[in-house]
Amino acid sequence: MPKVVLAGIEMETDEDGFITDPSLWNEAVAADLAKTEHVEVMTEAHWKVVNMIRNYYLEFGVAPMIRKLCKETGFKLKEIYDLFPSGPAKGACKVAGLPKPTGCV
Amino acid sequence: MDDKKAFQVEDISKPDGPLTHVDNADLMPLPPPLNNPADEPAWRELTPAAREKYAACLDDTIVLNIPKPKNKEEEQALVRKFLDGLSKLFSKEDNWPFLRPFMLSIEHCAGCQTCSAACHIYEASGKNPVYRPTLRGEILRRIYHKYLKPGGKFFGKWRHGDIDLTWATVVRLAELSYRCNLCRRCAQTCPIGADNGLLAREIRKLFSQELGIHTEELHDKGTVLQLKVGSSTGMNALVVKDNLEFIDEDTSERTGMTIKTPWDKAGADILLIHNAGEILAWPENPGAFAVIFEAAGISWTLSSELAAYDSVNYGLFYDDVMLARVALKQAEAAKKLGVKKIILGECGHAHKALTVISDRVLTGDLNIPRESAFPLLRDIVMSGRIRFDPSRNDFPVTLHDPCNVTRMMGIIEPQREILRKLCPKFREMEPHGCNNYCCGGGSGFAIHSKHNFEDWRFKVAGRKKLSQILTAFADCLDPSIHKYVCAPCSNCKGQMRDMFKYYGLWEKHSILYGGLVELIVNAMADVKPGFIEWEWH
Repeated sequence: MPKVVLAGIEMETDEDGFITDPSLWNEAVAADLAKTEHVEVMTEAHWKVVNMIRNYYLEFGVAPMIRKLCKETGFKLKEIYDLFPSGPAKGACKVAGLPKPTGCV
Repeated sequence: MDDKKAFQVEDISKPDGPLTHVDNADLMPLPPPLNNPADEPAWRELTPAAREKYAACLDDTIVLNIPKPKNKEEEQALVRKFLDGLSKLFSKEDNWPFLRPFMLSIEHCAGCQTCSAACHIYEASGKNPVYRPTLRGEILRRIYHKYLKPGGKFFGKWRHGDIDLTWATVVRLAELSYRCNLCRRCAQTCPIGADNGLLAREIRKLFSQELGIHTEELHDKGTVLQLKVGSSTGMNALVVKDNLEFIDEDTSERTGMTIKTPWDKAGADILLIHNAGEILAWPENPGAFAVIFEAAGISWTLSSELAAYDSVNYGLFYDDVMLARVALKQAEAAKKLGVKKIILGECGHAHKALTVISDRVLTGDLNIPRESAFPLLRDIVMSGRIRFDPSRNDFPVTLHDPCNVTRMMGIIEPQREILRKLCPKFREMEPHGCNNYCCGGGSGFAIHSKHNFEDWRFKVAGRKKLSQILTAFADCLDPSIHKYVCAPCSNCKGQMRDMFKYYGLWEKHSILYGGLVELIVNAMADVKPGFIEWEWH
């Protein structure tokens, strides 16, 4: 597994750049992960998406449905792509410190 | 280009280092509006760290992440295990499911290359000889005759061609089995019925079952996860029910109908199994199924049993044992509910895995009828039980044929009858039906994106489909016209979503993809108009 330094902590990521130990995540780690997703500054809107994904993941152990994410944050899917260019699964979930979503999603 | 054309089979055993390379200049040209080569995105390169760590010795990318052997012992172990596994592919006791077509293909391929002309990967790569469908079989044949047949070291090489079996040969063959979509267009066109697609799949099986080499996406986070928590998506039964409840509410709101998905209803006529990826990524698809089934008065249910709310069976792509384990779980759930049949939703490989390939493991009390949703949907649409207003689908629509449903199973007309009735601007792409081309995401590629594999997946594997789509819409490329590629398969949709984004097809040319049931609901006269949301993809 590649090792990277995020927010001063050395940690492992998978080959897609997702951190492998979600418990090492914090807001500073998120901000550094965001840079790998071409998001230089995390705005309030970015945090709204990331926090929703993060909280859902902590409760249910998987990423939320994209539609649920849109409904709860009030963002259209296009707006989420504008915030995270690789999209909700590959971009926003990565910044939220989740493992890469699996299955045919 | 010339050095690529000079490739010889023996080159597969060259010392470490990539065997071939594909440039943008090599790629098959695309039709308008993507006919300007300057617009082709640049290839991302494998990082030096990845090249250092993994055996990246075939082409520009890697899928399997096989660690480079560290010493002679590891190199030899790789070769030994491979040969051991190869001998099993040739044995009746070990390879009873596929021995006959395997042997026939090994023995009878005449190397005429008719199949190369039919292969979308070979054509799109600029006819790179490393991607010829016959190469994998040729390598296996030479190894078999030289290393496994008595006296092969003396006679095998001059009768069947020489080959050196080194660790690099083994690794290259493994990676090469993941440069094929398993679409079997090669087998369809072969004048003597050799199945080079099956050979690619059998090589994957050898590596998975004998060497533990498979992709994380298909195995650890695919089949293993599915058998552990219930779904390759990671959703357990509680989460999937919660998500369906959300879909029911959302669908009810959008259609004006009251939708309540039935769970675990004993004695229902039909157990419907979706690819669980639909639930997470394309919830309008399970939502639309529910709308149609309710409106038609069908007796149906979903199951919350392990693996029975996720039709995926990735074993089809790489491993017989995993394939059988998943199929058994799905059939057992149907038996428990006492349903009359299992209906598979819009997922191509699940169709083939559960209805056709599992025939030999689902016997006796587990031999419950297993069918595609398409004929049932056609019967519903044609029955007159639902009122339709086709003018709601008044936009250009073309149909992508998922290989597993069409070429592999011959289900060609039902989906077309529906589109001809409900989509006034339906047009075929050429060729289509059982002669279709793969979307480029086939055999699970759509869920593989590590390193730079996506570049290969879109530029090479998906290119022929992209070309077909653009040609089908040549008369309406104007971005003010919304266009819809009906792709009734989760894996094909995943490939199209990612490939369309890569080439800006929605943003610049208003080409969207989606399923079949969404078009049906979009045309239902008694639901609120606008079920298809063009901005949602």
